[in-house]
Amino acid sequence: MMRHSKQFIITVLVLSLAAFHAAAQNPSDLLIGEVLVENTSGLTDDYGQRNGWIEIFNTSNGTVKFGGCYLSDDKSNLRKYHIPTSDRAAQVGPRQSALFFADGDASKGTFYTNFSLRKGSTLYLVSNDGRTVIDQIEIPSDLPADYSVVRVPTGVKGMDFETRVSEKPTPGSYNGDVDAKTKSQVMKEQDPHGWVLTLIAVMVVFTALLILAFIFGWIGNANKRGQEGPAKPKKEKKTADGKMTPEIAAAISMALSQELGGEVYAAIALALDDYLSGGIHDIESMVLTIKPSQSSSWANKTQTFRQLPR
Amino acid sequence: MSTIIENLRQFWYFTGFANATWQNLAMILIGVLFITIAIKKGWEPLLLVPIGFGMIIGNIPMFPGLNIGVYEDGSVLNTLYQGVKQGWYPPLIFLGIGAMTDFSALISQPRLLLIGAAAQTGIFGAYLLALLLGFDPNQAGAIGIIGGADGPTAIFLSSKLAPDLMGAIAVSAYSYMALVPVIQRPIMLALTTKKERLIRMPAPRQVSQREKIVFPIVGFLITAFIVPSGLPLLGMLFFGNLLKESGVTRRLAETARGPLIDVVTTLIGLTVGASTQADKFLTGNSLKIFLLGLLSFVIATTVGVLFVKFWNLFLKGDRKINPLIGNAGVSAVPDSARVSEIVGRESDPDNHLLMHAMGPNVAGVIGSAVAAGILLGFLG
Repeated sequence: MMRHSKQFIITVLVLSLAAFHAAAQNPSDLLIGEVLVENTSGLTDDYGQRNGWIEIFNTSNGTVKFGGCYLSDDKSNLRKYHIPTSDRAAQVGPRQSALFFADGDASKGTFYTNFSLRKGSTLYLVSNDGRTVIDQIEIPSDLPADYSVVRVPTGVKGMDFETRVSEKPTPGSYNGDVDAKTKSQVMKEQDPHGWVLTLIAVMVVFTALLILAFIFGWIGNANKRGQEGPAKPKKEKKTADGKMTPEIAAAISMALSQELGGEVYAAIALALDDYLSGGIHDIESMVLTIKPSQSSSWANKTQTFRQLPR
Repeated sequence: MSTIIENLRQFWYFTGFANATWQNLAMILIGVLFITIAIKKGWEPLLLVPIGFGMIIGNIPMFPGLNIGVYEDGSVLNTLYQGVKQGWYPPLIFLGIGAMTDFSALISQPRLLLIGAAAQTGIFGAYLLALLLGFDPNQAGAIGIIGGADGPTAIFLSSKLAPDLMGAIAVSAYSYMALVPVIQRPIMLALTTKKERLIRMPAPRQVSQREKIVFPIVGFLITAFIVPSGLPLLGMLFFGNLLKESGVTRRLAETARGPLIDVVTTLIGLTVGASTQADKFLTGNSLKIFLLGLLSFVIATTVGVLFVKFWNLFLKGDRKINPLIGNAGVSAVPDSARVSEIVGRESDPDNHLLMHAMGPNVAGVIGSAVAAGILLGFLG
């Protein structure tokens, strides 16, 4: 019973994690990035006409498929335009945009909606269940011609969005500052000689390793205290002259555990040279065994032989 | 007859002889030199032989457009090169390094971690110098990481920060790693007194299996939380070590530290070598990178040794540290630790520093991965 409970908990945990991962790259990562209603001098569609358009932006760092989702400007009919599931083009790359022309004629293709945009309305992006509103954006009733409503990424991570009215629409392009500088360019301006980065980096490296040193110092002390407790007396390895030689034990142990040709020979040679030349050994006199790596059944050649039919 | 001559002439245009430039020949000679050094001197042969032969492959003069060059999309070499370009190979090598590294020396004397931290100054010293020489910060960061003395980390970071310089950076890093004994020894001797070189350190205590298992988990959590951008390297390093120390994944550990790392090392060496095509490699920037790489090793060694000397001012009795292990803070495992041992025994044949030097040596691996994560976070 207990075993089944554990299995159930682990299964739920794994499925939860999988669901969490999946959620990182699904239509819920989409948002309506930009909308333009009255297009008099801007982008033309594939048929040479100027219509309003809707830009869908993928906020995630993975590709998102949006086939099966819906676009609508009517809250009472969220399934107004169904984005075809079968179109392989119905996907958008990481931090990229997809553009829909809203000319009211869906027969022109996947990226043409069956409704036209209206000022003062609200545009909905709806999940493939037809009920869940992924995102919505209100179109001002006084939006001038050739102006767009745009969501601009803000914040350090670029995951917060600010809604603005823009006189310079950017259909299909990144809505943020297209002239934004790279981190390297920013560092070049802010820290031209590199001292600030150097100081911070050295501090961080020291801090990280200092924390590790403290923790393992503490664990080591706790371990030693545990060993010094009333536990059963351990048999100490002694050398021929009766003195403790942790060096030889540590050196050989290290060398053997590494199982590396060069290291094995170097460490063993050093240990032997230092201690064994005087006839001192840890356990067996002048016997040192190096155990070669054991082959797995996959690598075992005897198991790959095939008996010939007689 | 004229048709035959015309076809032969066309064939001639496709041959390496018709397309050869002196730069190609110079790079081929450098490749041969690498192979010779590796075979004759035995310096880093596992790396220098593939890199040297890769240099020869990458510099065979060819008619462009045959879809065989390392920089031509879809070619075999280009496909293999993606592991370098996209940064897959370095984490896989770190998996193998983790699976073959025994952190006991470090766990038994955790204070030696600080020497590994101090030696990372070489990275940032080279970063400052690279900025002085006019490199952009991202390029300077990629060049600086040579001072970590860690080839996979150098490739990983340069592929992210300055892909155009990656060939020169990788070759520089591996070349100087091969030259660690030559570079470090005179610096160590110059900066230490005879008395300091004779310092004997107490033997490290034996480390329990539990501590060895806890180390990769705690080590990963702390370093990854502080520098998440170092995740690919740190995660694989500590994961590999957990495979080794857990005691229940022997086969996985053996694969990671055996066949896997061998395959990846072969591919990374060959493709990095092939990426050093003359037109991209023989530039003024490459010369500057080689100079900065050398200086980064010098700085790392100097600061490592001086840090121990400074630290010793506050230590008493048998707590004092032999400054000859200060050089081992760079992560050229285990070469720099061997240098400590060899130089130490020149002064006192009975004073073995190898075990003590392995502490800062493996700390250097962690430290350089952390430093790479910081540079990637700030400049990537």
